[in-house]
Amino acid sequence: MPKIRTSRTKPPPEGYEDIADVLEDYEKKMRDAENESHEGKRKAESVWPIMRISHARSRYIYDLYYKRELISRELYDWLIKQKYADADLIAKWKKQGYEKLCCVRCIQTRDMNFQGSTCICRVPKAVLKKGTVVECPHCGCRGCSSGD
Amino acid sequence: MPAKHDINKVGEESSDFPILTLADGLTGLGSNPYLRMSKQEFGSECKICNRPFTVFRWNPGEGSRWKKTEVCTTCSKIKGVCQTCLLDLEFGLPVQVRDAALGRKNGAPSSDINKQFYIQNLEKQMENSPDGMTFDSEQANRAGRELLKGMARTDPHYKRNRPHICSFFVKGDCKRGAECPFRHEIPEENGLQKQNIQDRYYGKNDPVAKKILGKVAAEKGMVAPADKSVTTLVLLGLPECTDADVRTAMIFSCPFVSPNEIKSISMIAASHCAFVNLINRPLAERAAEALSAQSGIEVQGKKVRVVWGKSRPGKGKGKAAATEGEGAGGAEAVEA
Repeated sequence: MPKIRTSRTKPPPEGYEDIADVLEDYEKKMRDAENESHEGKRKAESVWPIMRISHARSRYIYDLYYKRELISRELYDWLIKQKYADADLIAKWKKQGYEKLCCVRCIQTRDMNFQGSTCICRVPKAVLKKGTVVECPHCGCRGCSSGD
Repeated sequence: MPAKHDINKVGEESSDFPILTLADGLTGLGSNPYLRMSKQEFGSECKICNRPFTVFRWNPGEGSRWKKTEVCTTCSKIKGVCQTCLLDLEFGLPVQVRDAALGRKNGAPSSDINKQFYIQNLEKQMENSPDGMTFDSEQANRAGRELLKGMARTDPHYKRNRPHICSFFVKGDCKRGAECPFRHEIPEENGLQKQNIQDRYYGKNDPVAKKILGKVAAEKGMVAPADKSVTTLVLLGLPECTDADVRTAMIFSCPFVSPNEIKSISMIAASHCAFVNLINRPLAERAAEALSAQSGIEVQGKKVRVVWGKSRPGKGKGKAAATEGEGAGGAEAVEA
């Protein structure tokens, strides 16, 4: 969640104007998702849309800096500091095997039923038993293994 | 020793391994012989004694739901039942069926403080006994064992490990579609829906047991007469005995019948039979089921056949056969 900007805050680094529209779009979507009614949804299900938008926005900034190299280091650091992107998640994406990771909680082995295991969404589709429908309770991920 | 006043002193159950029937770990789909179980100490309260106990959870395999233990090992040992399905460990039959066939008395109290006291005492017994087991009732006798073996199913009942039926699907508004982990089926109307874990444990009002006992009774020709006013059971081929002997035998083999619930007993010495009038119809049905499961009643060391009394022709249906035990007895004796 980005910080609120007032007249006293420092202006954003150069190049921000170019991506401001996209970020504003994400913010609008996020607001809609937050205000959406939770009626008829399961307990776990209600946060999924929020997780999804947060993931998409992090992905957008990650791509801009690391893949497409369109923004400066300065702007990237500023965006991270303002929490436009999830720094922990991006840190994982840089590692091999975690390129598509959905959320950091899904690789937190301590939260799982069995010692040292991860979320079901981390299991490659080829290894899953036939007929298993994956929809992880943390973020609604349907599979984020790098091999898929 | 009196029961503990403080709930914190009542204690808890802790165990290393659950007491289960085989079928709870199987799916019948060529399943993996190895199971991974998780153990959680003080996981939840026992559904019978309300004390915290060690909960075990496992998934039997493909096409089945996650299962967990519902009652503590103490409660399970007391009755000799599975911690999950509450069926008898040896025969896989409901407690009510087993107890009816063996003529066992339900000794476990179900009220709060009595229950605590009872469990406290039995736990002490278990500590002292060499095999760590206590059965509040004696071992099954051989005849009873044979009977139960006949009633028990030979193959494991895999179907009970399936997921539960989706309640939203039944209402017609399940939005999860293929993702739904529950079963999308319309439940069958077979009267087995209303089951209660407490009743199953104590062996009363168990619809499954009623079905099994009813089937056994029907096989042995003990179909309850359609006339609801009949509450009489007829004992045929009695040895020389008094009505006190019959009363004792009745209470001994049907422990749920208390002495004042036997309305009257009329003996017909000449034709070696007796008419036992019970106080109401449900009790009579239960006694008939239990006695047919035991294949008769033992009076003075002799097995005696039991059949239902007949409704009296000519008389008004409102008038219970039991009300005129003596007169009715005479008339029916000739028929029988």
